[in-house]
Amino acid sequence: NIGLHYLSKRLYVTQAARKAEVAEPFKFPPQEVQVTKLPSGLVIASLENYSPASRIGVLVRAGSRYETFDSLGVTHLLRLASGLTTKGASAFRICHGIEAVGGCLSVSTTRETMVYTVDCLRDHIDTVMEYLINVTTAPEFRPWEVSELTPRLKVDIAIAQQSPQIGVIENLHAAAYKNTLSNSLYCPDYMVGKITPDKMHTFVQNNFTSGRMALVGLGVDHAVLKQVGEQFLNIRSGTGTIGSKALFRGGELRSQTGGSLVHAAVVAESAAASSAEATAFGVLQHVLGAGPHIKRGTNSTSRLSQAISKATAQPFDASAFNATYSDTGLFGVYTISQADSARDVSHFHYAVLPLSQTQLKAEYLMSVENSEGLFDAIGTQALSEGTYHSPEAITQRIDAVSSNDVVNAAKKFMSGKKSMACSGNLVNTPFMDEI
Amino acid sequence: MASKTPAATGRLLFTFKKWYYNACGFNKLGLVRDDTVYENTDVKEAIRRLPEPVYNDRMFRIRRALDLSMKHQILPKDQWTKYEEDVHYLQPYLKEVIRERKEKEEWQRK
Repeated sequence: NIGLHYLSKRLYVTQAARKAEVAEPFKFPPQEVQVTKLPSGLVIASLENYSPASRIGVLVRAGSRYETFDSLGVTHLLRLASGLTTKGASAFRICHGIEAVGGCLSVSTTRETMVYTVDCLRDHIDTVMEYLINVTTAPEFRPWEVSELTPRLKVDIAIAQQSPQIGVIENLHAAAYKNTLSNSLYCPDYMVGKITPDKMHTFVQNNFTSGRMALVGLGVDHAVLKQVGEQFLNIRSGTGTIGSKALFRGGELRSQTGGSLVHAAVVAESAAASSAEATAFGVLQHVLGAGPHIKRGTNSTSRLSQAISKATAQPFDASAFNATYSDTGLFGVYTISQADSARDVSHFHYAVLPLSQTQLKAEYLMSVENSEGLFDAIGTQALSEGTYHSPEAITQRIDAVSSNDVVNAAKKFMSGKKSMACSGNLVNTPFMDEI
Repeated sequence: MASKTPAATGRLLFTFKKWYYNACGFNKLGLVRDDTVYENTDVKEAIRRLPEPVYNDRMFRIRRALDLSMKHQILPKDQWTKYEEDVHYLQPYLKEVIRERKEKEEWQRK
């Protein structure tokens, strides 16, 4: 471990070696991601990237899709409850302990996973790891601490309601699915203050099991992680309650809020993340246009923008929307337009022109360049598939998508049962059956 | 004095405690020992953390005792709190509050 110590002193030794020519500089060979699957079901993945700051996380397949009907919003509260007292450490100690070493504990939830991440300097891994394990395996949810979270919950919900995009995406999922994925990431208003510690405990018991967890580390030793995983993270073994399959129903939700803009999303069911079609949909998304490639640019190369600009002269924004989950996916178009041109924007035609897979490849490669993106990539792959595919493998997969695949994907979108959500000034926005 | 066996000492201590409990007299008003503890900051925080049913019972007993003391009455003998039935409901919460306060003070000192 002497090499790591040298790194935390910023490689002075190599500078000294140049002057003195006595010691040979340590070599740091690039390492591969190592993945191990323990018998308890826990997947451990780590990459030694020689960075002075390490990042460890516990990913749990316990997103909002696993909430039951009487506990909607429990994942939102769990997101806020990561700093509460646990069996091993009080809330005060977790907060001050992590602060004292300069670390940071954060939680994020998607519809399928909850990610508890802690990052700190490499030397202090043990301290923050202890807190991380405490928070994910042994929270106590004391009633008075949980009720103190209610104001924070309200602030979160208020902030989410300020953003029309979040509203449309939540409505879209609520309209498109009958169960599981229709659960919102945010706590519904009627449940604020009504989620008891018992409900939180039940959710954790049923879903935070080692068969559904992945322990991921960047800048840590694989053996250390493996030991931690074997010793501490098999408190609840097994797979917990089996989630139900997401059922697509293709509904429509309109939310009249006034204002001058209309945010609308029209989607159809696409493919699950593990299927071969998922990559085709990714490429299709980039063919149609997934945001401007130049900051503050005009997005003129997007096929969608080109098609819509023929239909209306007013300002608008359109991008392809692609969301993939473990057993289903959504693909469609998200548009923002002025209230009175909404009808024109929705009636556009497009022709499938030659592909640009390079854009999708570039987006993926750039996202794994920084440590958050890399951590996400390793974590989600470890959790859903139990292995890690190197960026080379992913780019090969993208290259393997033929234009036929993309055309089929587009046909699936055009012919599939649609689902729609829109919000804003809906005076001129057509209904789903009118599109 | 012949040395008493531990069992006999235990019995003696118990009898003394019971006599002292009855001599205190708050059981004649239907109160329990933890209802009468002086409310400093720690105790106030512990009371705030009581679960609702326990807190409601405590409030009821205190109100009944206040009412009785206003009327200069006591409960009939069959309703007096018995020493064996006295539950120290506040102690776990109080211990936790004190432990947390000490932890904070430790931390400040370092």
